[in-house]
Amino acid sequence: MNWSFVLSNAITLACIYGTLAIGISLTWSSLGLVNMAFGFIFALSGYGAWLASINIGAQPAIVMAAGILTGAFGGLIVCLLAFIPIHDKPNFPLRALIATLAISLIGNQALLWYFGPRAKSLPRLFGSWNADIFGVIVTSDKLGASASAIVLLTLILLWMRSSRRGLEIRAMMMNPHAASIVGIGVRRTGFYVMALTGSLAGLASVLLAQTYYVAPFSGITPMVKGLSIALVGGLGSVPGAVIGAVLIGLNEALTSTLLGGQYVLITQFLLIIVVLLVRPRGIAGLLDKAREA
Amino acid sequence: MTDTAQPIWIDPTDCLYPENAAREAPTNPHLSHQTTWNETRAFKPRMHPVGRLRYYYKWPGHGGRLWWRKRYWPTRRRFLQIRGEYNPKTMRREKTIVDKRPIWWILGFIALVLGPAVVPAASWNTVMSAAAVFGIYAAINLCWMLIIGTAGIFSLASYAVVGAAAYGTTYLAIQLGLPWWMLPLVGAAIGLAFGLIIGLPAMRLDGFYYALLTLGVVELCRVYVVQSREFGSATGGLYGAPSYLPASLGQMPRLLFGYYASLALMLFALAVYRFIDGRRLGRVLRMAPEKREAFAQACGVDFIRARIMVFLISSTALGFIGGFYAIHFGGASPNLFSFDTVLLSLAMLVIGGIGRSEGAVAGTAIVVFIDRVLIDLGPLRYMLIGAIMLAVVLFLREGLFGIKRQFRTWRDKKKSERRATRAEKGGEMLPEEATETADKDQIFFRRFDKMQRDFLKRLVTDTVIEEHRTRPLGQHSEALERLLIYFRRQGQVDKYAIMVLEEFKAYRIVALSGHRGTAPRVVEDSLYPTPDEAYHALFLRRVQDLLET
Amino acid sequence: MSGADKTAVLDVRGLSAGWGPLRVIHDLDLTVFAGERIGLVGLNGHGKSTLFQAIAGLTGWQRGSILLNGFEVGRTRSQGPGRYTHQIVRRGLALIPQGDEIFHGLTVEEHLDSGAYTKRAWKERASRKIKILQIFPPLDKLMGTPVGRLSGGERRMVAIGRGLMADADLFLVDEPSLGLAPKIGKSVVDALMAVELGSSAMVIAEQNLALLEGRVDRIIGMHAGKLKGEASASKGLMGVHR
Repeated sequence: MNWSFVLSNAITLACIYGTLAIGISLTWSSLGLVNMAFGFIFALSGYGAWLASINIGAQPAIVMAAGILTGAFGGLIVCLLAFIPIHDKPNFPLRALIATLAISLIGNQALLWYFGPRAKSLPRLFGSWNADIFGVIVTSDKLGASASAIVLLTLILLWMRSSRRGLEIRAMMMNPHAASIVGIGVRRTGFYVMALTGSLAGLASVLLAQTYYVAPFSGITPMVKGLSIALVGGLGSVPGAVIGAVLIGLNEALTSTLLGGQYVLITQFLLIIVVLLVRPRGIAGLLDKAREA
Repeated sequence: MTDTAQPIWIDPTDCLYPENAAREAPTNPHLSHQTTWNETRAFKPRMHPVGRLRYYYKWPGHGGRLWWRKRYWPTRRRFLQIRGEYNPKTMRREKTIVDKRPIWWILGFIALVLGPAVVPAASWNTVMSAAAVFGIYAAINLCWMLIIGTAGIFSLASYAVVGAAAYGTTYLAIQLGLPWWMLPLVGAAIGLAFGLIIGLPAMRLDGFYYALLTLGVVELCRVYVVQSREFGSATGGLYGAPSYLPASLGQMPRLLFGYYASLALMLFALAVYRFIDGRRLGRVLRMAPEKREAFAQACGVDFIRARIMVFLISSTALGFIGGFYAIHFGGASPNLFSFDTVLLSLAMLVIGGIGRSEGAVAGTAIVVFIDRVLIDLGPLRYMLIGAIMLAVVLFLREGLFGIKRQFRTWRDKKKSERRATRAEKGGEMLPEEATETADKDQIFFRRFDKMQRDFLKRLVTDTVIEEHRTRPLGQHSEALERLLIYFRRQGQVDKYAIMVLEEFKAYRIVALSGHRGTAPRVVEDSLYPTPDEAYHALFLRRVQDLLET
Repeated sequence: MSGADKTAVLDVRGLSAGWGPLRVIHDLDLTVFAGERIGLVGLNGHGKSTLFQAIAGLTGWQRGSILLNGFEVGRTRSQGPGRYTHQIVRRGLALIPQGDEIFHGLTVEEHLDSGAYTKRAWKERASRKIKILQIFPPLDKLMGTPVGRLSGGERRMVAIGRGLMADADLFLVDEPSLGLAPKIGKSVVDALMAVELGSSAMVIAEQNLALLEGRVDRIIGMHAGKLKGEASASKGLMGVHR
């Protein structure tokens, strides 16, 4: 087992899980919805990409676009079912959580029913070549996955910082009531946010399918990882999610090198508990104090 | 006066000349004022037979005190909450059952106990094993309901506690050769230890952070069990625990015995639920509902301690159930930790309604029936469960057993809103407004005025308007005369008047200000060439205002 | 008062509104003409804020007609408070609510931008920001600071500035001096008086009559959910009666 291999692996995973975590984080903070159907969106977009690669063509751009579009579509479904009908009803957060769980149950079973339990594999998007960065041999799919995740995340973050829609989403995060007074429609923003986070899940799904397979229940483990990263980072904070992803990725790399692969989840869990016991609101609580005011 | 076809007008001045026959002329028909008066004064509320409420049976005779006195061991509860009273109207002696739930519970138990007798022989195996699963799952869900509903800790790790206890006891039984009756006890110890570990973060984390954390715990357990060799990664579960069923029994008695044993387990869980939720801990926690914790704390309620206590007690009970699970199924399977199990059992809680024991039991019955009995449906049955869960969450606030309350709340809200929006413009005063009014005569004047306007509105017909158009001044029919008298009598504020710009050439309608020194304001631009036309336009405006109110 | 020659920005007819069983606004009529600055005076709990919220569609239920620039924005509604608020705001309403309702994490500049969220205003937000800074000079130094760190007076300035950024025809200002030290409250009201209205109109709800007296076009009293008495600026308050 060599260090650089494990490290590069961990960074790739951190990029992919970080994408998921940012999606979960954004949904929670702007809509007040913990999207437990994220695993379903993940699996759905994997299947979408697979169908596109079978029926249309196996070009990387087509597969990736299909995955992202299917993810956005899944996000819209969740928004229509779990956000629009109950977002101004009492006890919304808990009911929305349960509603997304129900969607996840229905959706995963529907996938199982339609596509069958056999796993599908996506075509290789980034070819098979190796790159040598500072003496570390990195395979193409890892490099491609990290690069595309980082590029897309940066684009989204820039868009959120500077554009009118980004301002709209961030305003909704802070104070939905004031947002509606300013003229921001809560329902419409809900659609944007869910489509955006769904497409993030789609991207992560396509990228992760380079190493794993597409299966009806393949979304659950990534979702749990994304959730834990979002938790460690502090729900609702994008920088927190990035730091959390790096932290979890490093932990995974260190543990699997020093202790062995089967201890990864245990150390990760202990890490989460320690972080949350120190900061009950995650790392983001350290980053900006203005949020707590 | 009636609305007969053509009423006859008799000239009243003719009474001065009784020797002549009275002058008569046909006039406009109109509705009698008596009609409006009767309609307004009519008693509209619907009345019911004296001395009895609808939908609520009252038992006759004495005996309320007797029920009040009897209590059952070991608590000091009464069997039934029965109130005895005299009906104030009929003076009949009556008893009311205040809380009917114990009766429903007992009927339910009887049905469960006698149930196996009516199960068709063809599906005996399926139904009976499903019924045993129902008993165990209902017990688990009751303990979980204590954690979620009573303690308000949104933990998703209850099945993880059960699974940990089941795995631990099976492992110990295989290694040490424990007898079957030891397993639930050992399981309780394991459950307590496990509860301590996962209960500690609950003191600091709130709501969703904790839920997601426990979801992580479940996933951790699953991955660990699936990968670990000593916990049977190869065989898909750890089996080999001793069974509590006597080996000599046949297939059918085994199922029956297992069913009654799990029913007893459910009773045990119900007892735990009752003893925690209905007694001191439950009441303390009911004082500290979500978002009012700080207030409860300020009142001296140590709700964190109470929550942790409830969590630990339920975890111990869950461990006990885990031990029972091991001796019932002869081991443990990683299925207990799967995401689907968490989902299905959450569906059980949600469908029944969070925070009530009957909800946990009924929800479990529904979900287990779909999951275990309707096997032919395949994956469709999970979709069915998910659809039910989604529908319940989207439409019901507190699950199936909250329908009654939700309906009543909704009906009361609609009623009160309708009452609040109902008051018409210039109509009767609402209580809120009436208390603000210094001159209380105004309240009664407004009530009378509204009735009068209701009457006058009915007098406005095309014939009356046509009559006024042809003859604004002079002798009028009774209907028109009543209208004109009412209009003349109104106050000066905003009263319409005619302003003469140039005699016999230009007239204009204005509204008086009602204040000395303030000029009238112009209400419309049009000029009228003759006084009669101006009179009629003014009349039309007043009629329009009357009809609008 | 003759108002036939002016155009009405807001025309409220027979408005009743409230929360659940409570009826706060009783059958209220109000007309606001373009270019007017109106003071709405009344004690606590007499429905000033509820009137504003009803115009913005934020009350529990309401009925009666509300014409904003000739568009019917009020309707009989018994649920979903705030569901149509953003559409009403796009029709040209700017509500500056009581208690500020700011976005804690956004900076002052982003805040002002968010005020100009509606499409027309967004394009000219730079020039609008300069105007706001002329009204509230202290904000210039705070442009990059998150609003969560500002003091109460500064927050109020930001909230009002956010409202004024909008391309609105009707500004509803709810209690601008509430909870501020008298001097700061007065300066905030002074700033509101300095705003050039042009063809838009402004209604200021205020408990402190002295702050508005003689400086607005009309003062309307509000009592028990109804408008009581009215005085134009030239006559002072002699005409206000209950």
